[in-house]
Amino acid sequence: MKTTSQLLSHHQSLEETQAGYHKALAEKYPEHADVFNKLAKDNRRHMEMAQRAYREGVTDAFEVGFLAEELDPTNYMLEEPSGDLATTVKTMISNEEKIIEFCVDAASNSSKLLPDVPETFERLVKRKKRSIEKMKELA
Amino acid sequence: MVVLEEPLKKIIKIKNYIDGDWIESESDEKRDIINPAKLKKIAEVPEGCAEDVKMAVDAASDAFPSWRKTTPLTRARYFFRLKELLEENFETLARVCTMEHGKIIDESRGEIRRGIENVEVAAGIPSLMMGYNLEDISRGIDEILIKQPLGVFACIAPFNFPFMVPLWFMPTAVATGNTYILKPSPWTPLSMVKFMELVDEAGFPPGVINMVHGNVAPVQEILRNPEVKGVSFVGSTHIGRDIIYKEAAATGKRVQAQCGAKNHLVVMPDADIESTIPSLLSSFFGNTGQRCLAGANLVMVGDDEAWVKSTLDKIKDAASKIKIGYGLEEGIQMGPLQAEHRKERVLGYIEKGVEEGAKLVMDGRKYDSSGYPEKCFLGPSVFEGVTTDMTIAREEIFGPVMSVMRVANLDEAIKTINKSEYGNAASVFTNSGKTGRRFQYEVECGNIGVNIGTAAPMAFFPFSGMKDSFFGDLHGQGRDAVDFFTESKVVIQRWP
Repeated sequence: MKTTSQLLSHHQSLEETQAGYHKALAEKYPEHADVFNKLAKDNRRHMEMAQRAYREGVTDAFEVGFLAEELDPTNYMLEEPSGDLATTVKTMISNEEKIIEFCVDAASNSSKLLPDVPETFERLVKRKKRSIEKMKELA
Repeated sequence: MVVLEEPLKKIIKIKNYIDGDWIESESDEKRDIINPAKLKKIAEVPEGCAEDVKMAVDAASDAFPSWRKTTPLTRARYFFRLKELLEENFETLARVCTMEHGKIIDESRGEIRRGIENVEVAAGIPSLMMGYNLEDISRGIDEILIKQPLGVFACIAPFNFPFMVPLWFMPTAVATGNTYILKPSPWTPLSMVKFMELVDEAGFPPGVINMVHGNVAPVQEILRNPEVKGVSFVGSTHIGRDIIYKEAAATGKRVQAQCGAKNHLVVMPDADIESTIPSLLSSFFGNTGQRCLAGANLVMVGDDEAWVKSTLDKIKDAASKIKIGYGLEEGIQMGPLQAEHRKERVLGYIEKGVEEGAKLVMDGRKYDSSGYPEKCFLGPSVFEGVTTDMTIAREEIFGPVMSVMRVANLDEAIKTINKSEYGNAASVFTNSGKTGRRFQYEVECGNIGVNIGTAAPMAFFPFSGMKDSFFGDLHGQGRDAVDFFTESKVVIQRWP
């Protein structure tokens, strides 16, 4: 990934995938539906926060096409959860950590570009750490 | 790599938009609009004629009295509605821009955002258009200044920012109560076609905003028609100075002609190189160098050979990694030039640079266009050893070419910039506030960047420019634009 557009598209795909997993888990574990639905909502909100930072701040004049280092999307692949609740939660935490890793790398590689985008990724890292705490409570 | 879906699925037969209707041009001649990355025809646009413009002028003149009486608040509401429609169609507009121009999707989205910002500013017209007053200028006598619209205005737009540039002018012109004729570039008319579909949907009264396509004949009629009160132009210095400015003045029109450029980017030894390099790359090679604010001459200051070499090596290394291809592929960092003849022009300058003795250390003629037809593509080129007398240091190339010059100190850098006949933009990269201030104080350019590679003014500031880069008095955007599109009328009153 070399451009801001690619960063944002990949982030969107990660959050949407994770939101989809959370929605499916809400159906599979109705006793925890509130938590999983909330986590799915958070994923969508995170996606919207990043998209908004980009769409509102993007301008032809800044360096949106030039990231500091190329990022490899295969470093941030998510795994579909399966198995019992404990295993599922473990997978979902690992996924959320992958997204955090992506956000950290995206923030540092776009730090010389549109300031709103890296700042938003940094905020998402904090929010996601809170999501992980909620997930741990389930297990 | 992800290729974004193209919003245009079939060849568009472009029509004029006059008096609230889409109508065929009176001209039978057509021009093909080609996607420069794929060399695929995407539209047909009429060459246009004087009759088309006369119809548009009639419609705009008829619409003016009623639009002028529409309150500024109501006029602003049309722009709020338009803004919503633009946001809803943001991505489609960006992709159309990439399809017809070739710029990468990030750049197109930036262009759409910049255009929308002008609509947002125009929505504030009830405040922006206020005059001023003073009571008792003499005992019992008050004086007020009111700003009034003048009538029909027109814009002659360039190919390089097909969406944004018309919006530097039209929203302010119309929000202040004038009526309008847009003449998009005949090379890139589709962005404005999509825009006018939204203008139509926003419900502007018929005749308030019109669009006429074409090339020379419509421009001549715009310039000669006495009903057109003012013209905004963006393009080359030759056309702006020798044709637009002179001919429009012959019928007493107001003119703002934003023209060519040769922008210098000065790197001081104390600059933060890591943050400077992405700025330089974007300025020199962004939009494939087809910006009037693009960096052209890189001025390295000082005699620290190791620092200069290491900086230039970093620039060349980063430039060599720029991925070239179709702008709708998300990882592409530089698209094609907009048309084949534009590439030929740049190639001519590269040859000229070599002939005149500059050292071509990165040859953009060797490139990989990621499998797309090569006709319009060109890689980034870097010349070293460029001196101020060389053609490539003086003339506008309008392509991805960086000419590296060396100067001893800031004095010499400022002298070099001020020697240029152009005065569009200049930037300095430094960690010294003193250097930055001196640069902004002494450099004879309208748009100054301090640690900014592309000093593009926002919608609420004028897009400045001086010397051979601008002809007229009041610039596009900001308060200048409000003054350009209104007459200042002074009323002195006494009630005995």
